Amino acid sequence: MYSVLPRLAAGLASFLFCFSLQAATPNLVVYTYDSFASDWGPGPKVKAAFEATCNCTLELVGLSDGVAMLNRLKLEGDNSRADILLGIDTNLTAEARSSGLFDAHGLSLQSSALPTPWQDDLFLPYDFGYFAFVYNKEKLASPPTSLRQLVDDSGGPTLLIQDPRTSTPGLGLMLWMKKVYGDKADQAWAQLSPRIVTVSKGWSEAYGLFLKGEADMVLSYTTSPAYHIIAEQDLRFAAARFEEGHYQQIEVAGMVRSSQQKELAHQFLAFMISEDFQKIIPTTNWMYPVVGGQAVVPTEFDQLINPAPALLLDETSVAEQRKRWVEEWLEVMSR
Amino acid sequence: MIVSRAIPAGLVLALLALLVLAPMAGLLHLSALPGYEPADLRIWESAYLRRVLYFSIWQALLSTLLSVLPAILVARAFAMQPDLPLRRLLLGLFALPLVVPGVVVVMAVVSVYGSDGWLPLGRSLYGINGILLAHVFFNLPLAVRLLLPLWKMIPQHHWQLGEQLGMNAWQRFRFIEWPMLRETLPGVLLLVFMLCLTSFAVVLTLGGGPRSTTIEVAIYQSLRFDFDPARAVMLALLQLGLCMLVAMLTLKFQRMPEVEIATSAPYRSRRTTLSYVVNLVLIMAATLYVGLPLLSLLIDALQGPVIKMATSAQLWQAFANTLFIGISAALLSVVAGWFLLQYSASLARQGRATGARLVDLAGSIVYVIPPLVIATGMFVLLSPHVDVFDWVYPIVIAINALMGLPFVVRCLGPSIRQSHARYHRLCLSLDLQGWNRFRFIDWPLLRRPLGLAIALVAVLAMGDLGVIALFGSTQTATLPLMIYQQLGAYLISQATVTALLLLLLCLAVFALLERGIGGKADVVN
Repeated sequence: MYSVLPRLAAGLASFLFCFSLQAATPNLVVYTYDSFASDWGPGPKVKAAFEATCNCTLELVGLSDGVAMLNRLKLEGDNSRADILLGIDTNLTAEARSSGLFDAHGLSLQSSALPTPWQDDLFLPYDFGYFAFVYNKEKLASPPTSLRQLVDDSGGPTLLIQDPRTSTPGLGLMLWMKKVYGDKADQAWAQLSPRIVTVSKGWSEAYGLFLKGEADMVLSYTTSPAYHIIAEQDLRFAAARFEEGHYQQIEVAGMVRSSQQKELAHQFLAFMISEDFQKIIPTTNWMYPVVGGQAVVPTEFDQLINPAPALLLDETSVAEQRKRWVEEWLEVMSR
Repeated sequence: MIVSRAIPAGLVLALLALLVLAPMAGLLHLSALPGYEPADLRIWESAYLRRVLYFSIWQALLSTLLSVLPAILVARAFAMQPDLPLRRLLLGLFALPLVVPGVVVVMAVVSVYGSDGWLPLGRSLYGINGILLAHVFFNLPLAVRLLLPLWKMIPQHHWQLGEQLGMNAWQRFRFIEWPMLRETLPGVLLLVFMLCLTSFAVVLTLGGGPRSTTIEVAIYQSLRFDFDPARAVMLALLQLGLCMLVAMLTLKFQRMPEVEIATSAPYRSRRTTLSYVVNLVLIMAATLYVGLPLLSLLIDALQGPVIKMATSAQLWQAFANTLFIGISAALLSVVAGWFLLQYSASLARQGRATGARLVDLAGSIVYVIPPLVIATGMFVLLSPHVDVFDWVYPIVIAINALMGLPFVVRCLGPSIRQSHARYHRLCLSLDLQGWNRFRFIDWPLLRRPLGLAIALVAVLAMGDLGVIALFGSTQTATLPLMIYQQLGAYLISQATVTALLLLLLCLAVFALLERGIGGKADVVN
């Protein structure tokens, strides 16, 4: 037993040594969420396409999610290795903006697919989507056609949702309810509450439980059925279209102020809103590309619902009131 | 002698304190900086916190009792049937639930008890029922593994005496087995209580909604959207205080048995048909309970893209990372635990029982500081000075070794104490010290619990998600992190294949370590 310690230390040391070997070409470090960086995400294709033109190495660091990577960047401050942060949504941009850690991108987004023109000097969108309740057509014949119908019908479908304290879609639904019901959102939650089977920590638990048949509908994205259609040739799933419109999620990237390679970072952001990057998004990140229109979206996306009108609260009111709204939600849901 | 034991133990204790307190101090310091939420002491008065506290204690207590009390019966049944066919395999199976990541357990539990499951419970699954089902699945087998070795420590002549006196089963339990249990049971109760108190994904998903919020969830919340480090530290301290309280209560109940010099051997006499049948039913019921969710996982995984995934480089990289982290953390944890326990055993031998208990407690209680708090705090302290990316493995290994310490204390503690009580004088008179004492006295006696401790901590670290999720990136992912990433990207069938691979790896590592270090045959001392 006593001989183990030195061996362990030697093993660790050699391990660290391997990691500290540096590449010779410039290295652009992008913090992103893990499903972007992993084998099955857009990461490998984005890396290959960008490296073909930049004479650099693109290092995608997959961290757990947008909140985690922003917190991490804040903690690292000016010591961060990151040149780009890719993968926060507009519910976090106000906070990211006030951190003072980002530099203007200096790019403009021409003819974007977003419902409203994009005007933000720090953050640039790369994809977007809409929250929706997804159901199995074979099990639920007539899904609700509006959020109000879903809330009012006490014999309506059972639901799986996510917790706004821990999950992005969960936060999205809370804001969606707020957008539609305003000050009466808490009453609507009280009406909905008996049909909520469970509130999960993240998207994956709720979606997994839904596929196991634990409830009629799950909070997800309007684009979720496209995954089943394209990757699994499974046509059973659909998103319910709601008359009031669907709450929107816009995912953005920004250039880190402390970056030593602003030019390369700038080049990456320009690449990000080019067709080469955008065409990778629909079938790897399962979201809508921001530019390129029909040319970059697979035809299967035509089968998806039209989520218009897009609902979105402005980033300042979200940043200012999120905490109070979450407390309100907790109060109703804990009864 | 005691001084030479105090030095390494003191070092370990100092290191523990540093690993726990420094990150918390780092987080508190952060909250004093501009741009961060300042510490807000009003949290103590909020109705929300009271509700969270009440629910945390309630679910943890209930889960603990429902796990440990049946575990006593099941462990006893295993102890009474040393020749049971497939006994080793079943006990190996019992080591698995602990390593299954929470989110996979949720899916497995739903496969069995969900509305389309084998034993459907419908909506009533969500709430305290689901939480208890999952927690008992995790902890009953663990408690069985921890309690089982006790029966080996009962001197043979106690059984013989019991027989001569014509004791019935109850009397044997009361007068022969109970005194032995009474020493270890409080520790096992405390450990399971801590595990249930800090359980997270299970509580949040199967709990049915925010009614089922625990302190751990509140801590997580305050380190995410809210990013309020001071609040996270206050809640972590509350959790620590709560566990100290429970520890004091359980320790009051603990009695050190009189250790005597005697030979012990498995109980092999007077086996009636009735007791045989009862034991068999108990073992079968527990095996079914533990096995069904695992079986559902196996069935799901075999329907997944097994062949396609077998060629994924990312998968095998994660496999290697998992193995490396697991083994390193286990060795580190056992070495640290060894020094602590040697010191506490020598204190106990000198009659300083309270001191001994406090040392044991220090080793165990750090478990309840959420890894997220330690990890975030470490991040705060380290990131201005070093590139944390280069330190992913040492940090993850160190925190996992820390989290494994309570298991080392539980597995090894009783045996080390017994070895001290029985052989310390002999060692003194033979002037056996250091390596020789380890080689000739400790190793033959302790290799079995040592094997169990290393095996348990290794699989536990291999199953870790909390620490690796914070520090790991796609490149340094372990299998549990990969499972979580796959589940987050619609790849549910791939995730079940990865989970199966993790389980097989854990089973293999557990068997190899436990048998390789513990030895094949029972050591008769």
